[in-house]
Amino acid sequence: MTMNLSGKTAVAGVGYRQFKRGTAPWPERGVLVRAIVDACDDAGFDPADIDGFVSYAGDHNEPVRLMPDLGTKELNWSAQVWGGGGGGIAGTFGLAASAILTGQAKAVIIYRALAEGNSGRLAAAVMAHHLNDHMVGVGMVAPAQACAMRAERLLDYHGVPRSVCEELVRASYFHGSRNPEATAYGKELDLAQFRTARWIAEPFRLFDCSRENDGAGALLMVSSEAARDLRKPPVKLLSVAQGTQKGWGDLLENDNIELFATGGFRGITDKLYKMAGLTPADIDVVQLYENFSAQGIASLIDHGFCTYENVAEVVRYENLIAPSGRLPVNTSGGNLAHGFVHGIGTAVEAIRCLRRESVNPVPGARTCLLAGGPGAPTVSSAIFGVD
Amino acid sequence: MARMVTGQLGAEGPYWDGLAKGRLVLPRCNGCGKWHWPAVWRCGDCGSWDHEWVEQPLAGTIFAWTRTHHRFAGTEGLALPYVTALVLLDAVPIRLNGLIEGSEEHLGIGAPVTGRTTFTQFGKDEIPSIRWMLA
Repeated sequence: MTMNLSGKTAVAGVGYRQFKRGTAPWPERGVLVRAIVDACDDAGFDPADIDGFVSYAGDHNEPVRLMPDLGTKELNWSAQVWGGGGGGIAGTFGLAASAILTGQAKAVIIYRALAEGNSGRLAAAVMAHHLNDHMVGVGMVAPAQACAMRAERLLDYHGVPRSVCEELVRASYFHGSRNPEATAYGKELDLAQFRTARWIAEPFRLFDCSRENDGAGALLMVSSEAARDLRKPPVKLLSVAQGTQKGWGDLLENDNIELFATGGFRGITDKLYKMAGLTPADIDVVQLYENFSAQGIASLIDHGFCTYENVAEVVRYENLIAPSGRLPVNTSGGNLAHGFVHGIGTAVEAIRCLRRESVNPVPGARTCLLAGGPGAPTVSSAIFGVD
Repeated sequence: MARMVTGQLGAEGPYWDGLAKGRLVLPRCNGCGKWHWPAVWRCGDCGSWDHEWVEQPLAGTIFAWTRTHHRFAGTEGLALPYVTALVLLDAVPIRLNGLIEGSEEHLGIGAPVTGRTTFTQFGKDEIPSIRWMLA
């Protein structure tokens, strides 16, 4: 028996709390409980009725420990997507939908929480998942370096113009500068500063790299039927795909030669669009996980929005900004300019923009693609929609 | 003798033993002849469990590279900036990372390199590793 899950589950509530790195006013679990209760308040849903939880990237907050604060009556289901980076973020929605549609859970919280005081630096935690002697023996110890090497090949060998990275970062800051929740609030990108900022690992300078924040995000998912009775208009999950293909993965940099410089999504995008019955041309707005600028570009290419040949025509500042651009990307500012709680902010913004709650509205938007963390050994993406 | 941080990951034990003794050895499937990297116990293509470790010359061309400027924790033993290059070996279809030593004048994708084995200081550990030199 196969069943298409498209449209059968929906996000009914979102909660998001963000702080400057290292400054969360509560320990990690305290931030997370508040974000979950925010998501329930948003939906008009009693937190005690949540019966399922799913996270990604080795989140430290085991659901059972949340029960006393939430008043959880029954913990019926909990899971986590494998992987150390943000590759699993969109896959959480697929797991939650599977649990709901098979009757294992009725109301699932998708979450991610980070506070440096509890979990240390995110970059170090992600790398600890991947680090081995093959890497440390050659000075490769950070995600920035591993992504930089692939970015260099994307820009040099595959001929993607370096200027498109700047266009993406500028658009992120345009949106972030208008978002009171964002680290870049009130600050558009200073191009001269961007171009001369200190090198991290070539080709990345400082502002090519996502910032880390303390914070937590939570999204409440229920069946589309149940969502109709809640406070906010449901945002339906139209499709989700996670995984990888032969020739991509944790392969000591020996990925297939044509896949090496990609974001790793080539193996899942056909399934993603097919489940939704949509094509890239049908996507109204994109929430793009950009750990680093060039990986964001690779992800846009993988998802069919442009090619190595025409990327400079599509990835232009004017084209990427709301409300007027044809492909608005990261309407909250994204990981680069909104803030980085391991990408959960991009998922929250996917819901807000379809509910017309984004601070940078996209008029008439009915579909939003959430692209998970690029460059991860396994990746995931999802498409959301409103009627 | 080498002291490693994480040790052997999978089936690549002979690689580390070889590198520590100054030799590069890589595994070829005795069932179908495929070169595997990362090393495997079982060939996912033909199902064979039999692999032969064959010495290879340290020579190839640069497939990708990055120059690190930021002082990431653990790299204190390396002078900044340093270049890490991923090299496609000439003799077998396998890519191996190494630090670049000597002139960086001809650094770029496709540039030919030769290599040597050595050890890299990482914290208190000495990791067997490769150094590449641009031709």
